[in-house]
Amino acid sequence: MWYEKPGKDTDVVLSSKVTIVRNIKGFSFPAKMSDADRENAMGMIRQAGGNMGFNFIRCDEMDDTAKEDVFDQYYCKYNFLNSEQKTAFLLGKKEGLGVLLGDKEHISIVSFVSGDDILSAYKSAEEVAENFEKEMEIAYSDKLGFLTSDIRYVGTGLSISFLVSLPGIEKTAGALAILSKRAEKYDWQIRPILQSDGNKEAGMFEIKSIATLGVSESDMVSRAQKVIADAVKLERSCRTNIYKKKTLIVEDQFYRSYALLRYARKIEATEVLNLLGWLRFGLDNIKESEVDLDWDTINMLTHKVRRDYTAVDSRGRKNAASAGIRADKIRKALKKDNERG
Amino acid sequence: MRCERCGAPIGNKIIRYNGILLCEKCARDLNVEDPFRGTAMLGQPFSILGELSNALMSASNDLDFANANTQIRCPRCKTSLRDVETNGAVGCIECYNTFNETILKDILKRQGTSEYKGRKPGTRADIDETSAVKDKPETEAPAKPKIEVQPSKPEKKEAPKATKADLLEKIKKADLGTVSDDDLKEAMMLAAKNEDYDLAVRLRDELKSRKGDN
Repeated sequence: MWYEKPGKDTDVVLSSKVTIVRNIKGFSFPAKMSDADRENAMGMIRQAGGNMGFNFIRCDEMDDTAKEDVFDQYYCKYNFLNSEQKTAFLLGKKEGLGVLLGDKEHISIVSFVSGDDILSAYKSAEEVAENFEKEMEIAYSDKLGFLTSDIRYVGTGLSISFLVSLPGIEKTAGALAILSKRAEKYDWQIRPILQSDGNKEAGMFEIKSIATLGVSESDMVSRAQKVIADAVKLERSCRTNIYKKKTLIVEDQFYRSYALLRYARKIEATEVLNLLGWLRFGLDNIKESEVDLDWDTINMLTHKVRRDYTAVDSRGRKNAASAGIRADKIRKALKKDNERG
Repeated sequence: MRCERCGAPIGNKIIRYNGILLCEKCARDLNVEDPFRGTAMLGQPFSILGELSNALMSASNDLDFANANTQIRCPRCKTSLRDVETNGAVGCIECYNTFNETILKDILKRQGTSEYKGRKPGTRADIDETSAVKDKPETEAPAKPKIEVQPSKPEKKEAPKATKADLLEKIKKADLGTVSDDDLKEAMMLAAKNEDYDLAVRLRDELKSRKGDN
């Protein structure tokens, strides 16, 4: 899995994501497509994708394990995987690289990299986009660039985002406003992540590009590097400041959080994310910690808890069961980490 | 917030005309800025009647336009103008011709520009990879010995001047948000010394806003 690989600045940045959307000329956009057109377009994309070494999978032919895997790795929406309209997925040989077919746009290329490495995420996605552009005629106008169904993406069709954990900034008065202002200067936005039930995920934010016109792809990548560098710097300084001022509280919360995660038998996702936030506070600041833990484990747990396919469609009774399974998985991961340490 | 007519950022003064957000310049162009202010009004006592009749006319136009929303449809995919306005999504490429004005207005509102600067299909973006290298520790510094080889006469004295001028030039081009406080202060003093007051004021405001943030 791409998120289990080590990356840069993983204490703050969990993942870098690039999405490039494209549409095929001559077909209506997916929402207005007839079934015959949908099949034709998918056939064309399947052939082009096959030439690039992608495996074609129809969503309605995926079993639950495959859906869980795609949901977990490529952040596909539950509705996309279980859509009544025919949707499909191109699975790349490279981890974290895939193509969603027939979602809002004909082709949505997604590229994920662990930590802060937007350049390599962009290059992987661009290579695929470039090949599609060479293999088939793409909807493009000299004036507006690549034409998309969603007006927000017309232009470069490129969207860059980072998943970041900012418990330090969240707990420092005014820090989030400073970071938002910085991001706005580059036409970027920062927003808290909400779970499917509308609850805010503690300390988790998405930093995302807005502009697709008036900027080139290279400008967007360089702005991404600046925005994320600012966020990492500010978050680290906030964590250190809080630790210096409230050492006892942070240390106490750190060990309490670890103990809960390590021994709980039933735990909710929101609680896990909150506890992981406290572990992030302490991990680098507490010298000679009595706990053997590393950033890779914390990030892996964060991903697993956030992208729990079984919890998405679960309602009522099923929730309690997934809370138990979740606690089991966390215990095992932390036990492994301790034994390794 | 941006002007929905020209896309320019809107300052403190918010002007709405027929529900459209305008910047001061556009408001002036359309003669809608502060209609009840100034001597022109006093000089033309009947202008208020004109204003009223204009308002009534534009209201009726709005009504016509509202009815038109349901009628205008893309000839190819049958998407209506109302669909485009409410969902921000179009059904096919032809929609871009049919609803050109609405789409451009929406783009200007969201992004402030409609100018495409990206790459062409089948080509690659020209990415400056040096920006990524900046973050890495500076292990390689081959430039230094070369500087020492240069003739070492009075040029040494000119060096600091060159760096100061460089700093000013750099700051003029740079996004101020990325410049450190110290550099901003130094550049502000230099700009004031060089009588570049516009730049000096910009730098002062940036410094002030940072202090305000903290």
